[in-house]
Amino acid sequence: MHTDLSHYKEILIKGVWRENPVAYQVLGICSALAVTVKMSTALVMSIALTLVAAFSGLIISSLRNWIPSNIRIIVELTVIASLVIITDQILKAFLYDISKQLSIFVGLIITNCIILGRAEAFAMANNPADSFVDGIANGLGYSMILVAVAFLRELLGSGQFFGFSVIPQFLYDMGFQDMGIMVLAPGAFFIIGLLVWLKNSLPGVSHEKK
Amino acid sequence: MSDKKRSFKKSRIYVILFALVTALVFSVLITSAATMLKGRQLENMALDKKTNLLEAAGLVPEDKKPLPEDIKQIYDAHIREVHVDPRGRIVETPAGNSLQLYLIHTGQKVEGYIVPISTRGLWGKIHGYLAFEEDGETVAGFSVYSHSETPGLGGEIESNWFQDNFKGKKILNASNQLVSVGIAKGKVENLPEKLQDHYVDGISGATLTGRYLSEGLEETLTKYESVSVIFRQKKGSQTHLETILDE
Repeated sequence: MHTDLSHYKEILIKGVWRENPVAYQVLGICSALAVTVKMSTALVMSIALTLVAAFSGLIISSLRNWIPSNIRIIVELTVIASLVIITDQILKAFLYDISKQLSIFVGLIITNCIILGRAEAFAMANNPADSFVDGIANGLGYSMILVAVAFLRELLGSGQFFGFSVIPQFLYDMGFQDMGIMVLAPGAFFIIGLLVWLKNSLPGVSHEKK
Repeated sequence: MSDKKRSFKKSRIYVILFALVTALVFSVLITSAATMLKGRQLENMALDKKTNLLEAAGLVPEDKKPLPEDIKQIYDAHIREVHVDPRGRIVETPAGNSLQLYLIHTGQKVEGYIVPISTRGLWGKIHGYLAFEEDGETVAGFSVYSHSETPGLGGEIESNWFQDNFKGKKILNASNQLVSVGIAKGKVENLPEKLQDHYVDGISGATLTGRYLSEGLEETLTKYESVSVIFRQKKGSQTHLETILDE
């Protein structure tokens, strides 16, 4: 039992931190740029992607011994696309406003390299439980970066946190201004770049020395 | 036996069967999810349309989302949906050539009207509302509730800064001719002064969305011109809800 737990812990740490999909594998950047203007959209996107990653890992891994290898990518995409469509339908039914703001980006989870990458590299070769944990881990790794970027962009770009103004008025009176560039795509590029740099320059995580 | 099984798993029949079963299972899953959630989704869409209508009319703030009950209550109190014939008169039963129109009223006093916009965009239809004040020429507000323009470019048509620009624009020029409201290429302040009242700031990177929307607005306003004419004629005099668009 103990070995089991430490085994899952190992998968989690690898997905969330050591091989973080955004910061290390540099996957899923497109949506990371698009949905990180506000915390609320980033958070919903993160949850949606984590769920899709986890369940597609689980389903694909359960089917891995039956999937014919010459059509495996198509089958993987069928599973992923179905899960994404169902997620999108649920969002439209219960979180309509946020689903409108996310617009096509929920649908674009289908083409998010993180999901297909994990399905192909991990779920096809490991058991369902491990694949589920791996999906969660990679989803969390993606979420971590997404939420961090969204936090900085919303704070610096609109002076807000989850839609509430947090920069005190006297700072504006003293001449403080929101950074317009943070609301635009280049702001996300800068922040993601800085975060990747920060992560990879922390002691013990540099991949070049390995 | 196991050899036979292995060879079956490599056969084409197996591949085809697997593909068919997968397709069947997942399409059933998607269909049932979509069917079960459809009621709620339609409700959300109807509410969203009402919210946008009220936003165009300036009856709810754009930045703060009121509760669904408030939306329904404000809508019932201030909006009346009517159909008019091509001459701008209210008809009881919508016919093929009648136009949909929303009257904004407080009690019995009509305060303006809202024209539904449905026009071509770059990737799909753009649906929205254009509200007018009771003088029949001043735009009171504009909102979009459904579009498929590129997020960040044409998708900016649903942002507040773009929609706010419509407020106070005139659809008539100095000689009282219909000129509609257009989306400028770039900033309005760079246009000649006599045109500034009829244009809103454009969206950079979305020239085509702007052009299609301008065309759509002009087309729609031409169709609704008869209604606007009635409002202009009755300006200031008689704006009673029950009689404004009667003979």
